[in-house]
Amino acid sequence: MTAAIQFVIDVLSLGGAYALMALGLVIVYGILRLVNFAYGELIMAAGYTLYLVSASPLPWLVMAVLAVGAAVVTGIATDYVAFRPVRAKSVTAVLITSFAFSTLLQNAAQLLISPRPRSIPLPEVFSDTVTLFGVVTPARNLITIAAAAVLLSLFTLAMRRTVLGIAMRAAATHFTMARMLGVPANLVISTAFAISGLLAGTVALLWLGRIGTVVPRVGLEPLLIAFIATVIGGMRSLEGAVLGGFLLAFIDTALNYSLPQDLLKFRDAFTFSLVILILLWRPAGLVRGPATGQRT
Amino acid sequence: MTRATLMLSALATAAVLAAGAVRAGEDEILIGGALSLTGVQAPLDEPGFKGAQVAVKFLNDNGGLLGKPVRFVNIDGKSDPVTVGNAAVELIDQGADFIVAPCDFDFGGPASREAQAAGLVGISTCASDPLYSSWSLGDKQFTLSMWNTTMGATAAEFAFNEKGWKTAYVVTDQFIAYTKSLSKYFVEHYANIGGRILLEDTYTNGDNDFSAQLARLQALEEKPEVIFISSYGSDIAFIIRTLREVGIDSPVVGGDSYDDPALHEALGERFGNDIYYVTHTFMSPEAHPDMPKFLELYRAMYGEAPDTAFVATGWDTIMLLAQAAEIAGTTDGDAVARALESNEFNLLTGKLRYKNAEEGHEPDKAAAMVALEGGKPVFLGWRRPENPPKP
Repeated sequence: MTAAIQFVIDVLSLGGAYALMALGLVIVYGILRLVNFAYGELIMAAGYTLYLVSASPLPWLVMAVLAVGAAVVTGIATDYVAFRPVRAKSVTAVLITSFAFSTLLQNAAQLLISPRPRSIPLPEVFSDTVTLFGVVTPARNLITIAAAAVLLSLFTLAMRRTVLGIAMRAAATHFTMARMLGVPANLVISTAFAISGLLAGTVALLWLGRIGTVVPRVGLEPLLIAFIATVIGGMRSLEGAVLGGFLLAFIDTALNYSLPQDLLKFRDAFTFSLVILILLWRPAGLVRGPATGQRT
Repeated sequence: MTRATLMLSALATAAVLAAGAVRAGEDEILIGGALSLTGVQAPLDEPGFKGAQVAVKFLNDNGGLLGKPVRFVNIDGKSDPVTVGNAAVELIDQGADFIVAPCDFDFGGPASREAQAAGLVGISTCASDPLYSSWSLGDKQFTLSMWNTTMGATAAEFAFNEKGWKTAYVVTDQFIAYTKSLSKYFVEHYANIGGRILLEDTYTNGDNDFSAQLARLQALEEKPEVIFISSYGSDIAFIIRTLREVGIDSPVVGGDSYDDPALHEALGERFGNDIYYVTHTFMSPEAHPDMPKFLELYRAMYGEAPDTAFVATGWDTIMLLAQAAEIAGTTDGDAVARALESNEFNLLTGKLRYKNAEEGHEPDKAAAMVALEGGKPVFLGWRRPENPPKP
């Protein structure tokens, strides 16, 4: 029984982090139909902000807010630097500028700070454990689950109830039509990038809170996870991204628990085989998004 | 001859002339580096690069090498084996006398192969996989680091002989050749000297999820007396924290990837205890009487203390080449390689004697044993394993 509870907590906490990562990626994709390959660097920016303010006497929560703020600013900067100037011209150009911006930020961190890891401040509670139904589990796992639940419900509420949320959903469904009806394109897109930064910043706190250090390439893994989760879940659907995140966490954890040692080395091969099977069954992902094809 | 070909040949002539202009003259010694200052290999190569520059300045301030000034030119290998190889070719074209290769077999190998083809001595700053040998790279190629055979065996002897820990749990990160071969040699040697492995488990670098492994460890009927973790980068701190958080307090042993102040800080006072690792050196006079002098020169050059002991590998690489060239009386590849094979060198990273080319240039080298206490590293001394496993 304890093993089952342990398993559920592991899946939910890993899945919560994965779901937030995926949601941050898909919010931009939904509107622009373009993957922001500089997404991982939002997490990196939050991490280095934590490192840079670590020497200050500020309480940790203020540092965390600053870090999330840095991710939001970097997100908006991505829009202004990499997307807006070439958005209307060519898909390939945006793809390349987002890669270029990612490389630029990574190299900047490498040159200005160091290619070697830097440690980040963590509150004590991130290292504490709690006993739940007889299972000893790190408190940060429960924090991750709670943070994911709160953010996902807030996000859902904002998308359903606020004017901006409705405008964004309209833009995601049919961008040209939404613009004709008076939805300001630049505002919607910048907001999407800001939300993407907010989610990435929160993920950074939870994800880097597991690791304890930040390196220039720290964003690659979350980008990959987010990308796979959105592909499984359906690249056009916000709910799909969340579902994909939890499903990927379930697959990874289940394989980690069940594969024998000789095969565990090849776990990623098993994960990706399952992803391929899911895609053969549902080529557009598990959840279908709005049925339009046109990119802006 | 058409106009286009005329222009092409003019350009070619100009290129040849330009190349000639930067060629190393007879009156200086050029050491070429293909170290990666960007990309995934940069965390290991940048410290070596900085240490090497300190050494070159020291040589020049003290009369140069063989009476000539020394110039060190590094072309960024960009953590790409092909670029590293091309950087080495470019350096050899510029007239390099020695090639300094990146700190890893996959990234450093191409530079050493080019050096071998040009008849030059090539040396990696800290590649520790036994693949970095004269068997695979040629009779003029070396690595400054001990091999993983020595590193794994030192860890095994420390755990079993010195501390009397009879049972072990081993975690192997499937990341690179380094992480896999280090575990392999630890397990082999630990079993040879009488230890018992309770469980070997697998981890994937970047996962940041150790829950399944933890469940398996907790399910063991017998508690391991020592935990050996062969991983890389920030994942080490993550795994150790995960173990300690749930109350697993067995001592942890590992290799030189633990030698990283960011890792020590990340573990902090709370989790940075009862951890032991085998590495290249320690930044205090206990490790080598010349260490304070090196640290002072380093501070004079960069205005701050080094952030990792790996800087000493860069200094040692240059000083080892310089000592061998002085013994040989020339920079000729063959002569320097023979000088390296037939002498013992007393380096910041330990006493070193290479076996000959038929025996792979296996480095018979001392290893530094370091403990973490309250998040602070403490030097335990030099160790030399008795019979490290064969590669």
